[in-house]
Amino acid sequence: MTGRVIVITSGKGGVGKTTTNANIGTALARAGNKVVMIDTDLGLRNLDLLLGLENRIVYTIVDVVEERCKLKQALVKDKKNPNLCLLAAAQTRDKTAVTEEQLKDICEKLKKDFDYILVDCPAGIEQGFQNAVAGATEAIVVTTPEMSAVRDADRIIGLLEAKEEIKSYKLLLNRVRPNLIKSNDMMSVEDVVEILSADLIGIIPEDTGIITSTNKGEPIVNDEKSLAGLAYRNVAQRIMGEEVPFLNLEEETSVLAKVKKFFSNLIGKEK
Amino acid sequence: MSENILKELCTKVLSLFKQTESKEENAKEVACNRLRVVLMQDRTNLTPELLQRMRRELVELLSKYVEMDKDALELNFDQEGDQMALMLSIPVIRAKDEAEIEEALKEESEENDETDTEETSEEVGVNEEEDEASEEGTDETETEENDENVQEDEE
Repeated sequence: MTGRVIVITSGKGGVGKTTTNANIGTALARAGNKVVMIDTDLGLRNLDLLLGLENRIVYTIVDVVEERCKLKQALVKDKKNPNLCLLAAAQTRDKTAVTEEQLKDICEKLKKDFDYILVDCPAGIEQGFQNAVAGATEAIVVTTPEMSAVRDADRIIGLLEAKEEIKSYKLLLNRVRPNLIKSNDMMSVEDVVEILSADLIGIIPEDTGIITSTNKGEPIVNDEKSLAGLAYRNVAQRIMGEEVPFLNLEEETSVLAKVKKFFSNLIGKEK
Repeated sequence: MSENILKELCTKVLSLFKQTESKEENAKEVACNRLRVVLMQDRTNLTPELLQRMRRELVELLSKYVEMDKDALELNFDQEGDQMALMLSIPVIRAKDEAEIEEALKEESEENDETDTEETSEEVGVNEEEDEASEEGTDETETEENDENVQEDEE
């Protein structure tokens, strides 16, 4: 088995890197893939929280690097899905505790046993970013339709393009608010794509369900009714090479459209 | 539903009273335009001062050949895929006749003898500039910086 190593990065903090990681990882595992997620945000680990695994972590990536345990011992299995594992970050150390070479090495080893290795990158463009990117050959750049996030994404894209190892990168537009776009108060998906001139892999609508799902430690992809969950599942499908059309968010969010859709579903019309 | 209808009605009525305001750029356009400018600076290391300079020098250069509306000159970077292009749009008032052009060129060569600078010819190269390595300053930018003092004096 040779797994694909995908780094999930953004430059700016708070745009949803870790949420994206947890959801894409869970969705890929649900689709039958063996998935491992690596949290490289040393000192500020959070991926364990989003997955509800915070109480199960015994060893971290630093323990692996410093040879206090074997790599396999440090992998924490997900509660629901045995296909999904987490290699947690150390909370007590800083970004210098793991080097680029060591991360590369870990990724190489994991490639043998997993289909997908998702690397959760810390915010910023310093050593933490360099480390996270070191072992990856693909990248997902998470951004939101806000100026500062788009600007930082542009910077990250510039850095990714300079890296030979990164063969491709895709844009994931998070926290899209169709109502604000409709009223011309927010940049549209097309605007952001045009400005960054990058390929899109997903459009995730702003969803208050994310807050509750985070609070419960349960990725929103497991919620069949959630629109954001569906959007994340679609991203996973696209990563797997399937062609899935992007959600028409405008239609989904207005109350009128929802009622219409409900009735058209009743009649059983297919679009 | 009714909320939306009410909202729409409100904005419609309001727009009747504020005809001028509706012509203003909306938040999305403002964001896009500001971003384009700032990203262009990020990607090329061209600061607003340098852009201003570039603009001034282009006006100077082109004024030798045509009479144009200097204030309406537009200088923008456009992104088409991976290709970055410098777009220059100048409303031409009229083309200069031969004698005028000759005179302008003569004047320029005299000036060049005095100050020993050849910046105008260098500046044309920037048009084709496609700068992906935003890390390092390009040759053009560096030469501009060297000549900065001369230009500032002229202003």
